Amino acid sequence: MTQVSRRRFLVRGSMGAALAGALAALPGLGTALKLPGVARGGAGASKAGPLIAHVRDVSTGEISLMVGERHVVQRDAELAARLYDAAQQES
Amino acid sequence: MSSHREAPAIAKDPVADSTDLYAFVSPDAPGTVTLIANYIPLEGPDGGPNFFEFGDDVLYAIYVDNNGDAQPDVTYRFRFTTQVKNPNTFLYNTGPISSIDSPTWNRPQFYSVTRSVGGSDSTLGTGLACPPCNVGPRSTPSYPDLANMGIHDLAGGHGKVFAGQRQEGFYVDLGSIFDLGALRPFQDLHLIGMPKALGVNGTKHLNVHTIALQVPISDLTPDGTSTLTGVGDPRATVGVWTAAYRRKARILNSAVSDGNADDVETGPWVQVSRLGNPLFNEVVVPMSKKDLWNGLPPSADAQFIDFVRHPELARLLPVLYPGTFPNLAAVTANRDDLVAILMTGIPSGIINGFQNFTGTTPADMLRLNMAIPPASSPKLLGLVGGDAAGYPNGRRVADDVVTIELRAIAGATYPLVNHAFTPDGAASLIYDLENPNNTNTPPLSYLPSFPYLNHPESGFDVPS
Repeated sequence: MTQVSRRRFLVRGSMGAALAGALAALPGLGTALKLPGVARGGAGASKAGPLIAHVRDVSTGEISLMVGERHVVQRDAELAARLYDAAQQES
Repeated sequence: MSSHREAPAIAKDPVADSTDLYAFVSPDAPGTVTLIANYIPLEGPDGGPNFFEFGDDVLYAIYVDNNGDAQPDVTYRFRFTTQVKNPNTFLYNTGPISSIDSPTWNRPQFYSVTRSVGGSDSTLGTGLACPPCNVGPRSTPSYPDLANMGIHDLAGGHGKVFAGQRQEGFYVDLGSIFDLGALRPFQDLHLIGMPKALGVNGTKHLNVHTIALQVPISDLTPDGTSTLTGVGDPRATVGVWTAAYRRKARILNSAVSDGNADDVETGPWVQVSRLGNPLFNEVVVPMSKKDLWNGLPPSADAQFIDFVRHPELARLLPVLYPGTFPNLAAVTANRDDLVAILMTGIPSGIINGFQNFTGTTPADMLRLNMAIPPASSPKLLGLVGGDAAGYPNGRRVADDVVTIELRAIAGATYPLVNHAFTPDGAASLIYDLENPNNTNTPPLSYLPSFPYLNHPESGFDVPS
């Protein structure tokens, strides 16, 4: 995924907001990721309900996002790596 | 068992575990078909204080294929919601439950029913109450009256529904059959012989949770007709199966920090359980593929057809009962009789005046020819016993499906497709519980009207 498309993905409406909300729940993760242009816990998050992101194998950059009854797969090696790095931090 | 705990994964998830499926033209309302899907196997009636209930986090479905492609044409979906009236007590009920809306029932469960046809959903009912479990004479007095309050009419004249606890209606000698294929009445002939004995019903005094529908025949036919021209009418036969689903992702106790220990579940629904014909996944599908099978739709069943053509149990019987099944032991050809019974339906011309063929797509579905009226004198052996209104033409609650399938696999039905084959004498004699050659009375009692499965065993009266 290009930098532009990745940003579009991250800021795209409620899903981006919900992702930020979910990720922010992890201690230290919000600052570690520095997600651009995304307000934590915005209105979109409450509308979308919980979002679960699943990185099965960080080397592929494949991120499964599950929200509502949807399952969306995105490829973003940089984001996957940053998530992995964030998960290594001590809480 | 029919499909109780039949696969490694679903055995660990009883709330989503389909146990039996029934489909029959209603004997007391022959313009309707009754569809019953049972879940939650082997319920001990005294299993409190958290008595059994459907899963609020499970999507239950009953599917009907009416054009033979093994894809759903009519779908019924059921979602459940449980309430806790008094959060400050551990009790299931704080006094006698005299009514289905009694304030003393602390944990009532409600559900919705959605019908889908051609991609269009219609809600047939919401906030429908389940009856409580049959706790005992102090907690649930007059249980039949209480349970009957759980029979609800569906909107738009689409029939009626019941969801709640019932007595287990499936009978089988569990302890014997899974002890290396022993049949107590014939265990003197077993490779590891023991004196013959009477069968023991392993599901006696156990309960199950039932989702039952009684719907007009016109709700199931492809063109909405209720007037079928006869047994050969191509609109007459439907294929039925049930499935249960869980959300793809689940986080346990995600909000425990704020004192709310609810799990978080999200993502698409994933099929975790399926059931069409009794014993298909249990006895036909090998262990290594049972979980896979549970996650697939019937339209994917072609990959399992060789397990039907050459069933493992047909190879085991001559080994377990030496010298008893010599003709069966010699069979090497495809068992096309079993393919017809379990995967395509029986074409016309095989059994005089009967067919329930749905086409060449091999799929495990319970096939019901709705043009065949209810039998005035039902036979436990169903079609094998000369009663075309019974299994494998659909399945009625009392049908002795264990004996029917044992005899079929043993070769009793093979002459339908291979006239040169002579079944072994034992093939028409074997049974595991009571001999349906001698008695036509099932070992359990059933109700004469919807939902047909009997009221559940009382926890007080039947300690497990």
